[in-house]
Amino acid sequence: MTDDEVLMRAIQAGDSHAYNSAVRQHIKPLSHYAFRMLGNSKDTEDIVQETLLRLWTHAQSWKPDKAGVSTWLHRIAHNLCIDYLRKDKSSVSSELSEDLESSDKPAQAPEREERLEALREALNALPERQRSAIILSHYQGFSNREIAEVMGITVDALESILARARRGLRAQLSE
Amino acid sequence: MNDAPQERELVTGTMRGQDHMNMTAQRFEQIVTAYGSEAARWPAQEREAALHFLKESLAAQSLVEGYRELDALLDAMPVPALAQMEQRVMRSLREKTRDSFLDKVLDWLIPRQQRGMAWAWRPALVACLPLVCGIYMANFYSFGIDSVENSWQEELYLISMNDYAEITE
Repeated sequence: MTDDEVLMRAIQAGDSHAYNSAVRQHIKPLSHYAFRMLGNSKDTEDIVQETLLRLWTHAQSWKPDKAGVSTWLHRIAHNLCIDYLRKDKSSVSSELSEDLESSDKPAQAPEREERLEALREALNALPERQRSAIILSHYQGFSNREIAEVMGITVDALESILARARRGLRAQLSE
Repeated sequence: MNDAPQERELVTGTMRGQDHMNMTAQRFEQIVTAYGSEAARWPAQEREAALHFLKESLAAQSLVEGYRELDALLDAMPVPALAQMEQRVMRSLREKTRDSFLDKVLDWLIPRQQRGMAWAWRPALVACLPLVCGIYMANFYSFGIDSVENSWQEELYLISMNDYAEITE
């Protein structure tokens, strides 16, 4: 039995200590994913909270042979983010540049900062699924199969989405 | 950042049937366009063949170079420190998932280790609790029946009340 299975069986049995341990383990990658998708901490907080609450309330629906816990949680977060963005597109805002704590903000040359700002805008301009695919592939460290599982598509479809996203980003940056 | 010449050369390579360890130029282009310039992000089962192809093909090297800046910029884009938000979420989740008093009582009666059909038999057991309590209390207090010794007198009294007319007929 894998670590995921042991943990999830305990959560399914109502073990709140196991649940708290799983929350500690997954909260950071989930909050980074949601923040990159939504661009602000308030909405990120709502999505992360709902995702992790479902880890408790929907633990029975996790199937060990289908996906790892992290993949399963990212799938929930992905669906919540997509729903949220489709309902209220105007709320997508960017705190990335303003709210970085000084220790986290690497010193950038002005030209580099401009390029980063351009990339930020280009990412926000991407369709939600393309943005999600880029984030899952570049930042979250998932394999192509895991990303396809998160997004509920085939690997071929994923590669097509990723290629369109990267081409889109390059085109935006070269303007 | 126009990669059209590289693409042309790569397609030509495919048409000529060039491949290295089953990697075609077309497939290599698909991989780089989808997963970027860093080999670590390429599909694990094709990585070795793609790296071999990259070593051999100038067009492939040029294509990878074209995607390097984008990857470097993506790498450089940080997220803010979300520690306070994460603490708030964890606190809130702890409150929301805390066991109620009833849950604690149930856990004390029957630990939740083997849930199985618990959704059905646990409520049934709870429903039976008043019955069990009632039986216990009735047995304990006897409700006016003081002792077993008096019962023969009561029996005699009940026999005397019978109508024996039917028996004698």
